[in-house]
Amino acid sequence: MPIANTKTGSRDLALAGASLPQSGSGLGSEAARLAPWLLPLILVLGIFYLYPVFDVVRLAFTHATLLGDTGGYTLSTFAQTLTRPELLSILWVTLVFTLSSVFAQQLLGLAVALVVVRGEKRRLVGTTLLRTTALIAWVVPGIAGGIIWKMLFNEAPFGGLNSLLRLMGMAPMQWLSDPDLVMWSVVMSNVWRGTAFSMVVMYAALKAIDPVLYEAASVDGATALQRLRHVTLPQLRPAILVNMILITIQTLNTFDAIISLTGGGPGRATEVLSLYTFNTVFRNYDLASGAVLSLVMLVISLGLALIYASFLPKETSR
Amino acid sequence: MKGASMAKASNQERLGDFASYLFMIVMFAFFAWPLLWLLSLALRTRKEVFLGVSRFIPKAPTLDNFATILSSDKFAHYLWNALTLSCLSAAGCLIVALPAAYAFSRFNFRGKGVWMMALLSVQMISPLVIMVPLYRYMAGIGLTNSYFGAIMVYIALSIPMVTWILKGSIDGIPVSLDEAAMMDGCTRFGVFIRVILPLSTPGIASAFIISVINGWSQFLVPFLLITKESMTPIAVGIFQYAGTQNDSSIQLLAAACLISVVPAIVAFLSLQRLILSAMTAGAVKG
Repeated sequence: MPIANTKTGSRDLALAGASLPQSGSGLGSEAARLAPWLLPLILVLGIFYLYPVFDVVRLAFTHATLLGDTGGYTLSTFAQTLTRPELLSILWVTLVFTLSSVFAQQLLGLAVALVVVRGEKRRLVGTTLLRTTALIAWVVPGIAGGIIWKMLFNEAPFGGLNSLLRLMGMAPMQWLSDPDLVMWSVVMSNVWRGTAFSMVVMYAALKAIDPVLYEAASVDGATALQRLRHVTLPQLRPAILVNMILITIQTLNTFDAIISLTGGGPGRATEVLSLYTFNTVFRNYDLASGAVLSLVMLVISLGLALIYASFLPKETSR
Repeated sequence: MKGASMAKASNQERLGDFASYLFMIVMFAFFAWPLLWLLSLALRTRKEVFLGVSRFIPKAPTLDNFATILSSDKFAHYLWNALTLSCLSAAGCLIVALPAAYAFSRFNFRGKGVWMMALLSVQMISPLVIMVPLYRYMAGIGLTNSYFGAIMVYIALSIPMVTWILKGSIDGIPVSLDEAAMMDGCTRFGVFIRVILPLSTPGIASAFIISVINGWSQFLVPFLLITKESMTPIAVGIFQYAGTQNDSSIQLLAAACLISVVPAIVAFLSLQRLILSAMTAGAVKG
């Protein structure tokens, strides 16, 4: 996901508007000028995003199943779906999964980025290796990631974590079958895949801090810890906020890594909202309730997206 | 005095180095262990699989598991299908996104900021949300089990990000080049083809690779839209294969899993620097 802003772009844009010929005035000619460039994009997004989203809203007010429509509009699906007894525990599972993943990813991403930046400055060996390894974990497709971690958590002798524990003389753990532990196992696998994104964002943000600030802090005799607290962290604040919103959305939408790791089990211990929605529609064929749940997901994501937008620099909105 | 404080500082630095190394080793173990373990299992014979970590480096490493997987028609199909789907959709994505990115970069029009933000918000909608109704249309108009249908959805899912990345890359090309070409009588479209496209190849390449990786990892769309096994891409194939395997064939699953992961990793590593700089272009400086 691009975190790009368009600092360099806006200057060129102003130029383009001012000095290029054929920059027609008036709304009609503007639309005519833009249409050929933007039409394909608008068509693709209109057909595959906008229309489906409208249809989700429509379906939420019906009793439709995956097998067919059953006429008439109604509010009862809303009421029924939102009062389902299991929904509260699903939302709780989603909240725990999302918050702990986001917190851990942000913290580890920042720590790795700090160490990598420091390591590059001090020419420590292995910084590139660490960064690349984290990024490799990040490109692993979600489904494969789930399968890999399932092998690690396996309680048979070939389980990659329990055999390590045994080697160190510790008792093996029931990573995926203990309902109290399984959530943390899933979070761990998600943090494994997700941390690199935060690392990249934090790394870029660290590189963007004006070195003069550090020089000034050193002149004032600040210790490393003080520099971190009074220079680095305040400077990173906007980047951390933006990053946390982005990874929250990514984590909320996580689905394939869980379906292949636990399938939501044992019981419902790791059934997050996206998985629950999937099961409602494609296992129980209950399209209308699935649409209501999709709307819940949509509202959460768009709410976060709005917050995100308000943190971005406003240069492009001219 | 000065010497003492410098000695103290360098002591502190050394302590910092030590702490850094310690942290780096722990983090490296965390990130690398799952993949190293996967590799270790994939290289073992069935007997050695049950020996756990004591045979982390197998005594009799074998490539048989890879051979078994790669020689099965099923997996050859899975891989080929995934390659077709992800490459065609990445190409389609570029065709749709490039003109839009050019317009967003070069034209000054009302509400542009809002448009760009809307594009980004679209990116945040879970694919699951749109697949709920899309599945029905696609079934209704006969686009299930069709690569065309799946590719169009892949394109839609990648396009917001790709457009942003391409816009960032085109922004980096000085407008004076456009102007010069237009003075020489080039049309807008001519400028786009002859000036912008050649100069934004690094951006185009990273956008292409990013959408190929997206396509390669795509699970939900093909899982729902493609039910014919001969058309299934690897992400769905490996999921179904994992469901049919048991403990006695874990080494085969490991090999299959590794085979499904390596193309994405290679694609990423081939352009790592470009991709990262495209994704964070001008990042978070605001």
